[in-house]
Amino acid sequence: MTLSPDDMIMFVVWGIPINATVFYTWIVMGVLTVASMLLTRNLRADVPPNRWRTALEVIVQGIQSQIEEIAGGPSRHLLYFAGTLFLFVAVSNLLLVIPGFEPPTSSLSTTTALALSVLVAVPLFGITSRGLGGYLKTYLEPSFIMLPFNIISEFSRGISLAIRLYGNIMSGAVIAAILLTVAPFFFPVVMDLLGLLTGMIQAYIFAILATVYISSATAPSNPPTTQENTP
Amino acid sequence: MSIDWITVAAQLANFLVLVWLLKRFLYRPILDGIDAREAEIAERMQIAVRAREEAKATEADYRARLEALQSEQTSTTEAVRREAEKEKDALLAEAQARIERERAAWAAHLDEEARSFTGKLQRAGANALLDLTRKALGDLADDSLEARIAAQLARKMRETNGELERAVGNPEDATITSHEALSQSTRDLIAAELHNRFPGLALRFETDPAQAPGLTLRIGRAQLAWTVDTYIEGLGDLMADQLGSNSGQKA
Repeated sequence: MTLSPDDMIMFVVWGIPINATVFYTWIVMGVLTVASMLLTRNLRADVPPNRWRTALEVIVQGIQSQIEEIAGGPSRHLLYFAGTLFLFVAVSNLLLVIPGFEPPTSSLSTTTALALSVLVAVPLFGITSRGLGGYLKTYLEPSFIMLPFNIISEFSRGISLAIRLYGNIMSGAVIAAILLTVAPFFFPVVMDLLGLLTGMIQAYIFAILATVYISSATAPSNPPTTQENTP
Repeated sequence: MSIDWITVAAQLANFLVLVWLLKRFLYRPILDGIDAREAEIAERMQIAVRAREEAKATEADYRARLEALQSEQTSTTEAVRREAEKEKDALLAEAQARIERERAAWAAHLDEEARSFTGKLQRAGANALLDLTRKALGDLADDSLEARIAAQLARKMRETNGELERAVGNPEDATITSHEALSQSTRDLIAAELHNRFPGLALRFETDPAQAPGLTLRIGRAQLAWTVDTYIEGLGDLMADQLGSNSGQKA
């Protein structure tokens, strides 16, 4: 039994093996991109919005309002970043219901990559917002004694992000695979349904935590404290 | 549980590409569309606000115009009413004057009619009386009215005791006028009486239908009449009194 899709080679291109993680990531990317192109191809101000456009606007504005609640104001760049995180993780987890589909988020490499992106995005957004000095100064708050702890906190947040998402998704996939061998007709369906719910919650938590981290770096003072007691 | 760092790098690259793709094909069109629609809504609301303000201004303008028109209409109506009142008074005065004139004309016409009727009645009465008298004289006394009048004229002339001669001096002619032509005997009677008093007097007998029955003698500067006018006048007064009392009773 293969626990990680990284080990599953789907095909080789020009001598480069493409594993299941990357392959299914491309599928998710393709689904998101094609769906976006199809839904926004006739998006003009003079055309009345149809139900698909309205649904899309509801999704985008829902993400935007969540970000505004946390960040305290609108930020398009943060929307691009956190929104993409949410949509990627959510669609990856939703496609779990398709037989044979391996969600990329069940790979620790993927979640690590996403966590690394958050880890890099936090200082980037912080420096963009506060300037380099202002951002580095946050590591000395409330006193310089806290500098090592702040650095450790910064990395531990990334690690926790990666491990949390990977653990939840991978465990769900593994449990479904195990139950499929034990009781192939009932439990996998229940576990898949549960996996859908868990996947959506994980996508929401991942995007929200990323937004909180970035917002704490861009906030002018008294950055909001984060709660790490999430599942 | 292991991390494939090549896969991590690939996934990082994939994620960044996905961010760009979604930014390009999802977020920007959606957000731009929302912004454009919001801007359009805001513009339309501004247009609506301006239209409402213009409508209010137009409404106020029309209300002012309406009030001015109503005020003008009131003053015009009042002026027309006064003019009509004046015209009505003038027409009433003119009508009353015309009625008064017509009433006066009608009263004059009635008086004239009454006088005419009285005159006709008087003449008819006189004629009837004369005819009756003439018939009575003819039937009862075998005499005519004119003859009796001529006899009375002769008697009157005799009773003047010379006053007639002194009054007329020496006349050369005399004219005797009667209502109807006199009989020859009557003419002879009158001629004899006159020639007896005024010898050589030329006599001329004339008839005048307008004259009352009787005889009129014009001699020199004097005129002696013996007609039924005095009686007829009394009869006319009586008839006028009767007509007046009858009309008064009818009124």
